[in-house]
Amino acid sequence: MGAVTRPARRPEGDPGDADLVARVRAGDRGAVDDLYDRFRRPAFALARRVLADDTLAEDVVQDVFLSVWRDPHAYDRSRGSFSSWLMAMVHHKAVDAVRREESHRRRRARAEDDLALTAPTRAQDVEDEAWTRAVSERVRTALGTLPDAQREALTLAYYGGYTQREVAALTRAPLGTVKTRMLAGMRRLKEELGTVAGGTSGGALSGPAAVDGGAR
Amino acid sequence: MSAVPGSHEPFDELAVGWALHALEPEDEAVFGAHLPQCPRCAHTVAETSEVMSALASDLPPAEPSPDLRDRLRAAVERTEQLPPPAGAGPQDPAAVPADVPAPGGPAAPAPTGPSGGRRRTDRPAAPGVPVHRPPAEEAERSAWRRVLPNALVAAAVAAILALGSWSVVLGSARDEAQSVAAEQAEVVDALLQPGRVTITPVSATDGRSVATVVARGSQVQVVTHGLQVNDSSDSTYVVWGVQASDPVALGTFDVVSTRTDLRTVGSASTGLDDYEGYAISIEPGRQAPSEPTDVVANGQVTS
Repeated sequence: MGAVTRPARRPEGDPGDADLVARVRAGDRGAVDDLYDRFRRPAFALARRVLADDTLAEDVVQDVFLSVWRDPHAYDRSRGSFSSWLMAMVHHKAVDAVRREESHRRRRARAEDDLALTAPTRAQDVEDEAWTRAVSERVRTALGTLPDAQREALTLAYYGGYTQREVAALTRAPLGTVKTRMLAGMRRLKEELGTVAGGTSGGALSGPAAVDGGAR
Repeated sequence: MSAVPGSHEPFDELAVGWALHALEPEDEAVFGAHLPQCPRCAHTVAETSEVMSALASDLPPAEPSPDLRDRLRAAVERTEQLPPPAGAGPQDPAAVPADVPAPGGPAAPAPTGPSGGRRRTDRPAAPGVPVHRPPAEEAERSAWRRVLPNALVAAAVAAILALGSWSVVLGSARDEAQSVAAEQAEVVDALLQPGRVTITPVSATDGRSVATVVARGSQVQVVTHGLQVNDSSDSTYVVWGVQASDPVALGTFDVVSTRTDLRTVGSASTGLDDYEGYAISIEPGRQAPSEPTDVVANGQVTS
């Protein structure tokens, strides 16, 4: 586990997030605005990466925030930070949208790009927040420590929205191997990222039982 | 921990795939049933989501258009909130027990659409994208054929996976790998179109399952996985609906690949509720005859 000094800005489980969620649950429409201010950029950046289309990405972002408004109890804080839950919903809906919208021809063409992107995306612009910069650097380093096959599998699933079977076909690996690689890669990332990747523990990614299987 | 680490490993893998929204439908069904009972997996899903969230921080910064805020405000304005789930105080999230999933959903951190559904069969209602609603008249049909989306997923996938045809031998060329992935995705996508279907595996006379007939209100699809490639210049396969009296030709198709393939059979009258079974015949010429010449496979609709 890494010993990262957590910057003051945007820590996981930010009490500000909890306050905002509580306000949304209380029916305060303005709290959605505040949540939007806080998360619109990372949410949009992720949706845009998956969808490669700004309009569709905005639809996803709107749908996500509207979902939070409609059913704020869907989030259960015992399951991790609000921000990671929200970003997971962005990812989920973006992947649904890419599977729905994108022609297979386009997906096929784009697969090459996704495979080429075994190295993490390099931020073109320096964000003004030291926290973001630190995390970004940390993430890049962590991805760099993964065996190529694990990074490829996770990259295709996370950024490309491919299913495990599609990843298997794309990387010419058996489905079982792809599953193992994704778990092993996530374990490695969790270990490398330490508290940058949140404070949740007790699952398969943390603890002494973690085995670096499937590395090749 | 709910199990010793070794034996739990497959679920650990599924938990990561679940969080990544990358599971195949059959795995998703398995894990969706497992998750509510497994605190370890709930934690694994949360951990994976947190790692994913960290990964997102390395994306190029991007700003949505200023209009989006207004659109969101307007949408929030006209949207009512769902009532809080029973047992959870609206102001007290800590009231939710730590390791008991919230009612009505597989697990709280698993992002789901508004209805809690997952996957292509239950897509979130993105603005401007109409959610599929079966026509009202269909809803009045007999209950046993009203296959729910999840059951459809399970049935369709089981029908195909049982044959093992998915472990396609991939060639060395990446192009081929990609086209195989795309073909498989197309087959799955086509099968998982929302709506009610009747899925009928059909077998050859030796008992070998060679195809699956997927009948919908408007069309019949045939997933082939063992029928011989026919000469499309002077022969054709015909799908027949079998009733008490005479079989009815529903349409023709060609088998062009020994791989698992999906053929859509043009037909306006599929008679979703009319047939007791389906049969496939190979016919000389390119037209369906009035009655089958050489039935190569058949199967009964099971209720």
